[in-house]
Amino acid sequence: MQNFDLLLLTAIIFLPATWAVPLLFFPKSAVEAMRWWTLAGTAITFGLTLVLWGKVDFSSPDMQLVVAVPWIEPWNIAYRLGVDGISLPLIVLTSGVCLLSMLASWSVDKQVKGYLILFLLLETGILGVFLALDFFLFFIFWEVMLLPMYFLIGVWGGPRREYAAIKFFLYTFVGSVLMLVAMLMLYFEGGYTFDLMRLAAIGEGRIDGLQFSRSFQIVTFWLLAIGFAIKLPVAPLHTWLPDAHVEAPTPISMILAGVLLKLGGYGFLRIALPICPYGTQAAAWALVGFGVFSILYGGLAALAQTDFKRLVAYSSVSHMGFVLIGLGCWKISEQTGMGVGLKHWEMGLHAALFQMIAHGITSTGMFFMVGVLYDRVHHRDLNRFGGIANRMPEYAGLAAVLFFAGLGLPALCGFIGEVFAILAVWNYSPLAAVLSALGMILAAAYVLWTVQRVYLGSEYHGPLAENLTALLPRERFVAYVLSILAIVFGVLPNLLLSRMQPPLHQLVIRMDEAYRGLHQVLASIGQAGGG
Amino acid sequence: MPETAETSHLIVRNLLTAAWLLPLAAFIAQVYAVECWSNRLSRASGLLGCAAIGGSLVLSLLAVAFFPSGSGSAHTADDGSNHAAVDAEHEAHPSATPAALAGRYYTLARFGDSRLELGWYVDSLTLVLFVVIGLIASCVHVFSLGYLDDERTEDYRDEHAHAGDEQPVSRAGRFHLFFAYLSLFCFSMFGLVLAGNLLQVFAFWELVGFCSYLLIGFYRERPSAVRAANKAILVNRVGDFGFLIGLAVLWTSVGTLQFATEVDSKGVTASGLFEQVRGDGQLELSDDSKSVVLQRHLEAGDEPAPTRPTIAYTLFVLAGLGIVAGSIGKSAQFPLQTWLPDAMEGPTPVSALVHSATMVAAGVYLVARCYPLLAPEVLLVVAYVGAATLFIGATIALTATELKQVLAFSTISQLGYMMLALGVGGWGAGVFHLSTHAFFKSLLFLSAGSVILACHHEQRLDRLGGLRHRLPWTAAAMLIGTLAVTGVGIPNPWAPGYSLALSGFHSKDMVLASALAFVRLNPLHSLLYLVPLAGAGITAVYMFRLWLKVFVGRPADQHVFEHAKESPPVVLIPLAVLAFFSVFSAVGGESSWLYRGLVTSEPAFVAASSTSSAIWPITHPGHEEIHAAHGAAGLMVWLVAMAGAGIAIWIFGYQPFSADELRATFPRLRQFLLDRWRFDALYDLAVVQPVLRISRQAIAIDRTVIDPLLHGASRLLVQLAGWGRRIDELLVDGAVVGIGAWTWRSGERLRRLQSGQLRQYVLWLGLSVVVLFGVVTWMRPG
Repeated sequence: MQNFDLLLLTAIIFLPATWAVPLLFFPKSAVEAMRWWTLAGTAITFGLTLVLWGKVDFSSPDMQLVVAVPWIEPWNIAYRLGVDGISLPLIVLTSGVCLLSMLASWSVDKQVKGYLILFLLLETGILGVFLALDFFLFFIFWEVMLLPMYFLIGVWGGPRREYAAIKFFLYTFVGSVLMLVAMLMLYFEGGYTFDLMRLAAIGEGRIDGLQFSRSFQIVTFWLLAIGFAIKLPVAPLHTWLPDAHVEAPTPISMILAGVLLKLGGYGFLRIALPICPYGTQAAAWALVGFGVFSILYGGLAALAQTDFKRLVAYSSVSHMGFVLIGLGCWKISEQTGMGVGLKHWEMGLHAALFQMIAHGITSTGMFFMVGVLYDRVHHRDLNRFGGIANRMPEYAGLAAVLFFAGLGLPALCGFIGEVFAILAVWNYSPLAAVLSALGMILAAAYVLWTVQRVYLGSEYHGPLAENLTALLPRERFVAYVLSILAIVFGVLPNLLLSRMQPPLHQLVIRMDEAYRGLHQVLASIGQAGGG
Repeated sequence: MPETAETSHLIVRNLLTAAWLLPLAAFIAQVYAVECWSNRLSRASGLLGCAAIGGSLVLSLLAVAFFPSGSGSAHTADDGSNHAAVDAEHEAHPSATPAALAGRYYTLARFGDSRLELGWYVDSLTLVLFVVIGLIASCVHVFSLGYLDDERTEDYRDEHAHAGDEQPVSRAGRFHLFFAYLSLFCFSMFGLVLAGNLLQVFAFWELVGFCSYLLIGFYRERPSAVRAANKAILVNRVGDFGFLIGLAVLWTSVGTLQFATEVDSKGVTASGLFEQVRGDGQLELSDDSKSVVLQRHLEAGDEPAPTRPTIAYTLFVLAGLGIVAGSIGKSAQFPLQTWLPDAMEGPTPVSALVHSATMVAAGVYLVARCYPLLAPEVLLVVAYVGAATLFIGATIALTATELKQVLAFSTISQLGYMMLALGVGGWGAGVFHLSTHAFFKSLLFLSAGSVILACHHEQRLDRLGGLRHRLPWTAAAMLIGTLAVTGVGIPNPWAPGYSLALSGFHSKDMVLASALAFVRLNPLHSLLYLVPLAGAGITAVYMFRLWLKVFVGRPADQHVFEHAKESPPVVLIPLAVLAFFSVFSAVGGESSWLYRGLVTSEPAFVAASSTSSAIWPITHPGHEEIHAAHGAAGLMVWLVAMAGAGIAIWIFGYQPFSADELRATFPRLRQFLLDRWRFDALYDLAVVQPVLRISRQAIAIDRTVIDPLLHGASRLLVQLAGWGRRIDELLVDGAVVGIGAWTWRSGERLRRLQSGQLRQYVLWLGLSVVVLFGVVTWMRPG
């Protein structure tokens, strides 16, 4: 059984990369064959993640299918993998989004072989990050993912692709460096281990005689948090995102927005929070504060955009702000260290994770919809569209579903994450709730204005009007899948929430205990000092 | 009577659920009508819509029949004459929530012991609204078959939308889509009324807003229509922002958003909002009056907790104000009334259904539904908002120049009456006026639609006139609507309920009676009676002005007049149905079936007079006081309305002044009213422009602050790398120089990209890792 788990998890991670090897032997002219081959690879990977979904017992809060194979033994590094209700939805999201963006990759004509190889390597990197339970392995995959992305933007991107690619690389690299520092600190402080589960157990005070001190936790948390915040991204560390999105080809934008941003949120949930409960609590105000700032800043910036893709990119900044406020709304009583209204924080964590999935669906969809138009008319200037609803009614209807999901319309998935986050955060800070609720007004403003300028109106103002033809079957498939998912998760959020609940609930309980433990130590020191 | 409560419970649920979902099924079929099973020339989509909503109406009526009347209710015998008995019964049934059925469809999420779910809550208010919505929507659907008949074409020419070459836009007809939107709206509206908790109300609240957006923007080629649609959503979102805050307060402090107390399959009781807040009727304040004590249900074995849960009174008021803010947006109350007049850009049947009878009344419904959650101070705010709105709306209607605009402002004004009634403690009067208004205002709008159809989309009042000769049936229908809304009639002093008057007379009477009773108890707030009284007069003036200008006098535009011809039966029959209900729905006043049905849902604490002084003293009248004020209030409002009608008939019927003379009388006041009290200009200046300015600054910050910092750091690194190279050149031998030169060349090349050289960054960042790691390790305490 253990072997089967190992095989399954390894297959999920490395199947895409292995699938890339035969691509080398395809003749250069067999473009169509290479695309179908790659599509098959992403489809099989998606199928394997579904098998994984079937194998996991969602009622258990613990890590499952855990495998550990010694790797670099002198340094106590192992090939540790596992899944739980936190990572699995993101894994399936990843393989699903990769499959859909592969379908959208037919529009890439330049150096197809290289593109497809990098695409598959990217998928391996992302899946590896979500499955890794060893910090070193996590870091390796984090970096593995970075390089294909750099080249995918830098070679297949738009006019300013080099600038965007370097900017993306540098930002993420700075984050990686900080994470590396934190990793080494944890390695030495935690008794020479990279095992994330053990580090979390130490951080949560579940190992006798071993616990990270308060100041250590604070420093480590900030190092990790900055790294993950760049990825999320959090304003003001977000300026790589609009450039990367605008320059990246459509399928890469879909992956970037749909999956890569979630790595930041996942990093918080898997690493920063459980390993540094005290650090988390100490920085909770900053998480909520920067979250609110991102919501408003992203929304305001989106309102002023004239480039369709840039607008969607800034809307991502705004939406990811809801993830951050959900993660941070952990309120404690200063005197006792007890959690105040812990169920609201639990709700916030659910909202954050749900928002990640929901945004994975809506932003993937929005970028795809922008790409469909761009493929036809080769521009993205919002002021030179109009009347698309009459020319491409089916496309406009599906785009409306996805954009209104982004606006937070009920019965679509964006509503649940945002409203739950706002309801949860009131307990932590009414001001934060009020300001983030203002973000929903901004979202309505920029989405409606965009819909007005692109889809409504009497006629199309831009060039190449004759190219505005109905959706191709391939495009229609992608658009329908995303729209239907947006509706399903909007109507039945418990499909996901109930599966996230056991691990998130356990996380809340353990972090609360860990914090109380350290708080009591602090209180007794305070008394000793006072006496 | 059904055999057991359990089965009737299930039957009602299933009937209403089916009534709710039927339009959704129709919507899905209609969206794909043209592509899959029909064509643009076909009526099929419209007929399907009519069938679906007709089915919903029938199902709702069946649900009324199966509804267990009187079970657990203290109000069934309440007709104003036996208050003592009612009050005695209240004590016997200590429950804040009268006869209501509730349950859960499925769970949305659970957090600890709190649950969010999709549920249902049915009382007589729900049922009445189901029937009213079903009836009006059916009429509007049938009317639309006629009104939008010209959309059944492959080539529809829209005279109001122009392409770049000033030609009318030509597009494919959208007959099927219109009915699809209508069906989606009906689904959302039913869902809103059926909702079992506040989050669900909020969800459907947004959905009806979205449908309204689709329908206002139906003529999406017209810039004005699209602007109006956006404005509707945005202004509503301002109100919804408050609503969401209210939800957050209740969710955090009370721990549930459920209306009803629920017992789940394991026998665990989860107290709903109403029970927790009101318990056995009145708010229970803590000893210092600074918080409201929550009343949670205790299990049989449970000990009462030593400290009972409370919610701070200020938070409780805030929650109420939040909910009311939502209502203010949806019901177009002051100060968020500006979206509704613009919403008239939608096709006229939409104005009749969405923007007069149903959706805009949802705000009033919400206040009525959440009545137990509203502190007396909040109700006072509601009353003043209502009073301000009814006055503003009525005054603007006096000068409005288009047919539908007059009706839109009249709607705003009448919604103000409903809010006022609820605010002064007249729960029954508020929802009664809501129901009667739905009939006569949709009648007025559909009549207006008939005029517009007959006059080929001419609706400026100064181009119409004398049309009663051409459109006799429409004129009669509109006269009925006018008489109903103005409350003009011949009162019967011995039995006011059986006066020779239409439905609006009775309901407005009750609103004014509630206001008078309130003012008698709180003389400080006399305006709350004087304003609606004056408003009744203004209503009569502008409504008769409208009718006279359209149907009497000389035709202003011969062309329009001569081409006008009476609408076909498919348009007139809905008018007849609505006219029937406008006339007869309230016969009997307080003892009419409609009112008696509605008040069975009245929260128990409303029946008796109550005084509160948590923040400032307010006394709300009970049934007895309101009943006592009925005669006086009814007489006064009748006199004022008759006077208003008389003035209108004198000025616009006999026309002693010319139109120009009238215009010149109060030019500045007239301009002020034509500018709609200048709210739009104010909001543009105070909100819209600043937000756009800030948003432009936000991207400027990205470009001029954050990125330059980044670029500066990059350049600095390249400089450092250059020094590094020089050191290399001094210290390292020639073999390395070659590599250095290559590095320099790459560096030069990439410097033009403003952000330096990748390799060197990696190198420097690698170095900084080591340094940073060293620093952190060194600084790390303990």
